[in-house]
Amino acid sequence: MATELSLTRRCAPGRHPGKVLALATLLVWLAAGAPPREVFAPLLEWSPALAKGFALNILISLLAIGLGTLLGLAIGALNLSPLRLLRLPGRLWVQVFRNAPWLVLIYFTTYVFPFEIRVAGHYLPFPDWLKVTLGLALPASANVAEVFRGAVASIPGTQWEAARSLGFSRGQILRTIILPQCCKRMLPPWMNLYAVITMGTALSSLVGVHDLLDTAQIASNTVNRVGFTVLIYFSVLALFFAYCYPISRFTRYLERRYAFR
Amino acid sequence: MNAWLDAFVQWTAWLGLDYHFLLDTYERDSFVAGAWVTVQLCLCTMAGSLAVGVALAAALVSGRPWLAGPARLFVEVTRNTPTLVQLYCAFLVLNMLITEVIGGANPFTPFAWVVIVISLHKGVFHAEALRAGLEAVPQVTLEAATSLGFSRRQRLWRVELPLAVRVALPSLVNNLIEMVKMTAVASAIAVGDITYASILIWTQRDNVLELMILILLFFGLLSFIVNCLGRGLEARLRMPGYGH
Amino acid sequence: MPSADLSAPLIALRDVHLSFADTPVLRGIDLDVQRGQAVSIIGPSGSGKSTLLRCITGLLRPQRGQIRVDDTAVHALHSDAEFIALRKRVGFVFQQYNLFPHLSVLENLTIAPCKVLGRERREAQDEALRLLGKVCLEHKARAYPGELSGGQQQRVAIARALAMRPELILFDEVTSALDPETVGEVLRVIRELIEEGMTCVLVTHEMRFAEEISDAVYFTEHGVIVEHGSPRQLFNEPRSPRTRAFLQHTLGRGEQDRRPFVPAVAAAR
Repeated sequence: MATELSLTRRCAPGRHPGKVLALATLLVWLAAGAPPREVFAPLLEWSPALAKGFALNILISLLAIGLGTLLGLAIGALNLSPLRLLRLPGRLWVQVFRNAPWLVLIYFTTYVFPFEIRVAGHYLPFPDWLKVTLGLALPASANVAEVFRGAVASIPGTQWEAARSLGFSRGQILRTIILPQCCKRMLPPWMNLYAVITMGTALSSLVGVHDLLDTAQIASNTVNRVGFTVLIYFSVLALFFAYCYPISRFTRYLERRYAFR
Repeated sequence: MNAWLDAFVQWTAWLGLDYHFLLDTYERDSFVAGAWVTVQLCLCTMAGSLAVGVALAAALVSGRPWLAGPARLFVEVTRNTPTLVQLYCAFLVLNMLITEVIGGANPFTPFAWVVIVISLHKGVFHAEALRAGLEAVPQVTLEAATSLGFSRRQRLWRVELPLAVRVALPSLVNNLIEMVKMTAVASAIAVGDITYASILIWTQRDNVLELMILILLFFGLLSFIVNCLGRGLEARLRMPGYGH
Repeated sequence: MPSADLSAPLIALRDVHLSFADTPVLRGIDLDVQRGQAVSIIGPSGSGKSTLLRCITGLLRPQRGQIRVDDTAVHALHSDAEFIALRKRVGFVFQQYNLFPHLSVLENLTIAPCKVLGRERREAQDEALRLLGKVCLEHKARAYPGELSGGQQQRVAIARALAMRPELILFDEVTSALDPETVGEVLRVIRELIEEGMTCVLVTHEMRFAEEISDAVYFTEHGVIVEHGSPRQLFNEPRSPRTRAFLQHTLGRGEQDRRPFVPAVAAAR
């Protein structure tokens, strides 16, 4: 009603989509009738392989975010430097790798790097999954650098002024005043980035890494049954959701908590 | 034209890059065709995702639980699962089921599936941006419109939406740029976009780095164009005194 | 100045009750405004003054009681069309101006006449420019609200209400959000309107202004009218001890605030 304009608050529905989803899945399952054995038996059979595939996804994502964070912080630090000559390569790095499609970067690292590298006379294998990790770490580093820049910029200028008036040097201000405040602000976007990278690991199946999605494809082709194909792809969807949704919930919780500080 | 290409290939060869495929008519044409498919994908998904975004945002703020609940569920699932898996669920599962039901006359091409999946995926992000925009419109401004005798429809179109779009515009442009990059996944189901065309070429010639540079430049150009259009629109819609 | 037809008030409220959730805001309000009168409503913050105004123009619906504007029974309106018909006749000026930030000053003044009243664009523009002249802002016609000071925005908001050619205007604490130096320019515009015979209802904290321009003053507290009467009677010989306490509190503090600036006025009181 127009007359109740200022009374009605737009309601925020679906407080717990996770629960709703679980319920919906259960209902669909029940509606589909008695779950046919010939569909679930192969799923059970394939589940160790699927679990292994998903473990690889998680391993890639953890390594990629780790590498990306180290690299990104280094580049972010470079971007804070007062020297223009030092800022320029950092700026370029961020621009290039933020604007490149992830899939293209993954193709790039997979096809350009050799399959083994020579370290001190020994040939070390350089597996595809590690190349994919590098391919994901590149955009991750650019995004971390950007998150870092945003966090530093979000500290009010008065903090710099106050610290400067106390006689701190630029480096001291950064280390003792600004960076400690940044960490907290960086956490939500950083976690968001991690979730996005985890979802990005699904791309590794396209370059032949035996991750969850690749395993599912093999399983689907091997079993070659309509019901099983439906089930296995939606299981993959559900697995990724189960991993990423809690992260995104927690991120939102942190955002809301920090918003009120 | 060919003289220019020759010169370019020679010059890049001097730099150590192998662009000889540009001199092969067939490969060059397939690369250009791939670029054109990518442009088409971008245009279709832009229109599609904005339509989905508006519809989802309308559902989210409708205040009707039976509409807002499923919309929120869809948003959460889409945001928290990989696009590629969504694409497979659509193309390998839904498409298969449709083909089973109606036989060989399945109207959905891989191109159509990519447009549908990416439109739905980015539509979710548009919807979130628009919802934030709608919620940022002050209640008192709407009250002012009501007190001037605006009908509900007039209030929505003359006051609420213009203000919401202005708030949401930067996020929308960001989403569109993300979406341009996302079209690269089309190559996963053999849609002949620029990435797919490049894969075909580099498996023959082993010139990954060279093609990669071209692809990155191409996507850079597309992002740049979208960004410029977005900035232009923002400047046009700028409200003086409100520091956007 | 006020019309003599006392038997048919332009606005009549009878026993109006309204609660937000479980909080009663209006607890039985009776109020009459004659055509051409200026009526001020004063009282402490949170006593339901703004809510009262919103009920008159149908932005809020009371749970009980009757509201009449001329021959319209506001409490009984239901359809959007009926509310729109009412709002064409009743102007409203908000504390926070609430101009449309995406439209220029001129567009702010013409959008409602064109879209709601269906007036010709040319005609609406001419009228808008005339009204801007009236509030001394014709040079700001092309500016946007965000570029104006608070006082200027509020004058535009008054002109926007006038552009609908309303029969009465409700002013909701229109100077509360303004810088002290711009309050005067807004009050001057309102005073002119009243002198021209526009029916006005003002919710205000400007006691001196209310005393000077009102035909009747209502004092509300906790959602009821504690007392009402002529400004002379209410400000100088308040009957209720609550009114007296309120006036002592606000005027006492107000005078201390003002003394350094206008010592002559303060001394005269």
